[in-house]
Amino acid sequence: MKLLSWSVIGMALLGAALPPVVGAQGKPLTVTGVRGVTFGAVFPGVPRVISRTDPANSGQFDIKGPNRSDVLLTFVLPLTMTGPAGAQLPLAFGSSDAGYSQAQSIGSQVGFDPKQPFTAALPNNGRASVFLGATANPTANQRAGAYTATITMTVTVLP
Amino acid sequence: MRISKLSLAVLALVISASAAQAQTNNASITATATVQTPINVIGAQALNFGNVFPGVNKTVAATDLTNAGRFDVTGQASTPVTLSFTLPATLSSGANTMPIDTYTGVHADNVAQTGGTAFNPVTGASPTLSATGGLFVWVGARVVPATNQAQGVYTANVTMTVVY
Repeated sequence: MKLLSWSVIGMALLGAALPPVVGAQGKPLTVTGVRGVTFGAVFPGVPRVISRTDPANSGQFDIKGPNRSDVLLTFVLPLTMTGPAGAQLPLAFGSSDAGYSQAQSIGSQVGFDPKQPFTAALPNNGRASVFLGATANPTANQRAGAYTATITMTVTVLP
Repeated sequence: MRISKLSLAVLALVISASAAQAQTNNASITATATVQTPINVIGAQALNFGNVFPGVNKTVAATDLTNAGRFDVTGQASTPVTLSFTLPATLSSGANTMPIDTYTGVHADNVAQTGGTAFNPVTGASPTLSATGGLFVWVGARVVPATNQAQGVYTANVTMTVVY
């Protein structure tokens, strides 16, 4: 009976202490959007390419998770940016427009296709970064104004 | 003791279920762009040689505000553009032709051509739109009528293309 009591208490504590997302090493998984993809001034009919190695204009996500764990990266990539009166500006992501960096350095990336799920390994400190480039393809009669879109990256710690 | 074994089993299931919980998180960033004003070009004035006589060449200078051809450009203020031209080698009047050559050009940020810059339309130019997004471009040329040039009205198209 005494053992039963401890078991019940143990279960209660377990339920209360569980954070929303905890890795095998007990380290929570966090993903942070650090910087957006910035095309700046774009001219009608003139494509604008932002490289994932562009330190000022590429997008960046930071990941913190369980040390040395494998993670799966997936993106929700918009096809267009939306501008004035609902005008659409086509957006494209190339097969090497995403880069994974265990060193969290824009100068040390492994390129990958953001349109496909990508498996990466977190380093010993459990921290990494993902950089993202893209191409804006304004039409020749693209309406002037500010355009935006949302890019979402989901990280899943693999068992 | 039977109850205790059961509770241990339940505890194990709870722990197992917790360990198998999906460890997923996400974040979003934005993509942003500012599209500049599109370029608009109009042919504002034709290149006009007026009366031409057989065997007598005639030149219209790009600085001739009355007879030089003129294109008016509008676009994003203070932005560089590239001008290129499709220039005919002859004017036509039915089946008859008359050579046209020696093209000249001037671009300026005002219609009075004040402070204008001369350029060669054959090679094009790379001016910058004015602070209000305007640009004016004039084109002159020379016609070379033959001594037996047939009478008539001769025309051709001069096309200017502007890109950012």
